[in-house]
Amino acid sequence: GRPWSNPEAQEDPAHLSKSRLRSDLVSHNVELPPAGSKKEVYLKLHLEHVDQGNAAGFSSDEDDQVLYAPGGDRVDTKIPDPTALSDKDLKDLLLKYGVKAGPIVASTRAVYEKKLRKLLQSDGNEGLNEAETAVLYSDSDEEGEENGDLEDEKESEEEKERINEALELNQKQCNEHLQEPVKNILKDLIPEAKTTPTGIYVTPRRPIKGAAQRPILYGYPDTPVSPTTLERRDVERRLVPIYVQILVFFIVLYILYFISINV
Amino acid sequence: MLQLCPHICDPAMSSTSQKHKEFVAEPMGEKPVNALAGIGEVLGKKLEEKGFDKAYVVLGQFLVLKKDEELFKDWLKDTCGANAKQQRDCYGCLKEWCDAFL
Repeated sequence: GRPWSNPEAQEDPAHLSKSRLRSDLVSHNVELPPAGSKKEVYLKLHLEHVDQGNAAGFSSDEDDQVLYAPGGDRVDTKIPDPTALSDKDLKDLLLKYGVKAGPIVASTRAVYEKKLRKLLQSDGNEGLNEAETAVLYSDSDEEGEENGDLEDEKESEEEKERINEALELNQKQCNEHLQEPVKNILKDLIPEAKTTPTGIYVTPRRPIKGAAQRPILYGYPDTPVSPTTLERRDVERRLVPIYVQILVFFIVLYILYFISINV
Repeated sequence: MLQLCPHICDPAMSSTSQKHKEFVAEPMGEKPVNALAGIGEVLGKKLEEKGFDKAYVVLGQFLVLKKDEELFKDWLKDTCGANAKQQRDCYGCLKEWCDAFL
């Protein structure tokens, strides 16, 4: 069976917990009331925005395969509430978005829920059904055969969306980072590039040493010098100690001479 | 004064703090959580309140998040309100420690 088909339709919102109402509102892109508001406030908003979508004559169970709701209202009612997901479902759904999640334990649950919420919100406008129903169907064996083809189609669309998303993210991050000093661009771009799902990576061109007021960041190898310059540098290095050595030599000579005279 | 030694300190080396260097130099043992780079008194207290009273507990969280940079930084921000630089320092510190000892 499907773990979370139409939870809002089946439960009276008044029976939902405040945090559940809150996350429903978030997934419907409804502005949250100020923190610390009473449950009634959340409930009211929930009834206004979320249940409106349900009341618009939206799907019975058979209509689950419809990707876009008629009449322009968003397909938000299909978005699973990350808080309500089981650990396994949360992990699977994250995997659909290309996120290889680690163990979902008490301390990691919140972080992964937050990540999923972020992914869901950015994906909400494009019709989430593909990812979600794919998870639904993959969970139940009985429905597996029938929906095999559907799943494939949905997955390739998913992938395209994921690639677009990743590209957008990359673009956005690149633009943001341009504001920071040069050093950070390199540090941030290079590690980022390794993890892009698209496999696109950047190798920054080394800036021309000293050109256009660019600070010299790399230690370029020494410019080639002529042998005479090297010699001169060598001699210069030893000049001072040599003087000391010669001086000491003569002093010792003088002392010896002085002694030999007096003997 | 005779400058016999032409060796000059490399300025690039000072990008990691002293705290970072000290932490990464040896096994962390029972070091407190504010021995981590990026974690000072204030953040350390907040982490302790949440139960992360030793550096190794934070290490545990880091590992359970599979050493993922974004997730760990998010977790750190949510748990103790670390800013971007503190997140970066802490992540870098733990990552380097793991590279050396794990």
